[in-house]
Amino acid sequence: MNLRTPLLLASVLAVFAGGYTLANDDDHEGKDRYRRPKGLGMPADAPQIWKDECGSCHMLYLPGLLPPAAWQLQMDTLAEHYGSNASLETAEYQEILDFLLRNSTRNRLPVESRGRPGEPPRVSETRWFEDKHDEVSTEKFQRESVGGPANCVACHRDAERGDFDDDRVKIPR
Amino acid sequence: MKTLWIALLIGLPAVGFAAPEHPLLQRYAEQARQEDPAFAGFSAEAGKTLYFQEEQRNGKTMSCTTCHTADPMTTGKTLAFRKVQPLAPAANPERFTDAKKVEKWFRRNCDDVFARECTAQEKGDFMTWILTVGAQP
Repeated sequence: MNLRTPLLLASVLAVFAGGYTLANDDDHEGKDRYRRPKGLGMPADAPQIWKDECGSCHMLYLPGLLPPAAWQLQMDTLAEHYGSNASLETAEYQEILDFLLRNSTRNRLPVESRGRPGEPPRVSETRWFEDKHDEVSTEKFQRESVGGPANCVACHRDAERGDFDDDRVKIPR
Repeated sequence: MKTLWIALLIGLPAVGFAAPEHPLLQRYAEQARQEDPAFAGFSAEAGKTLYFQEEQRNGKTMSCTTCHTADPMTTGKTLAFRKVQPLAPAANPERFTDAKKVEKWFRRNCDDVFARECTAQEKGDFMTWILTVGAQP
């Protein structure tokens, strides 16, 4: 028994543990790059102007849901925001943009978009979103009580506080 | 001279009790006069018509009522499912008290529904109407 044995044992255990984790991860192995981004909690420095301006029309999408470059695109196309004019004054624009960029740096995913040309990226069109929802039928997404894939709060009650835990999902009838 | 004083004394209380014009309406009237020298005042009826006017936008029928409902005394809902507090000041006294906010939402929502900015005439017409909705006679 020398020093190598425990090391070897540890390596074997690590491999098993790693394999177990992958196999147990909703069949998402091999797609680590497209796992749901981490750091989705409500940032402590969330300004009221962000809550007011973004949250008056739709649920608050936490900054970690998109990478910084995607937020930049969002903010630069506000006059044509999925069919709505959501334009801001310069000062408001800057404060909200700074907040979004500052709090999305942990999201290192590529900017993805399968929407119409010129449309800013959608959270619901990221690879991880589609993987995570591959068992949710189009019929369910289209229910009036759900309101489409952009309306996280329909099924993830506390989505605005960053709680997307599978165990607390409730798809309304 | 005596008759004039009597007339003034009788007239004063009436003037005192008349609702003062909304400060935003005064502003829109000034702008409307600049936009059109023939400006002849605001019309509540035209404002109501504007509120219910339907437009085709991105394959959807849109009007102010899409989000604010056909009864501006009630709570509405945005296309992305957020509650919209009643638009009529009779039901929501905070409405039309912040000029900057009013301008911001006219700018956005006129574009959403009519694909253009609203004129001062239209804004004034609309406000003239919405101020009467649900108001005590």
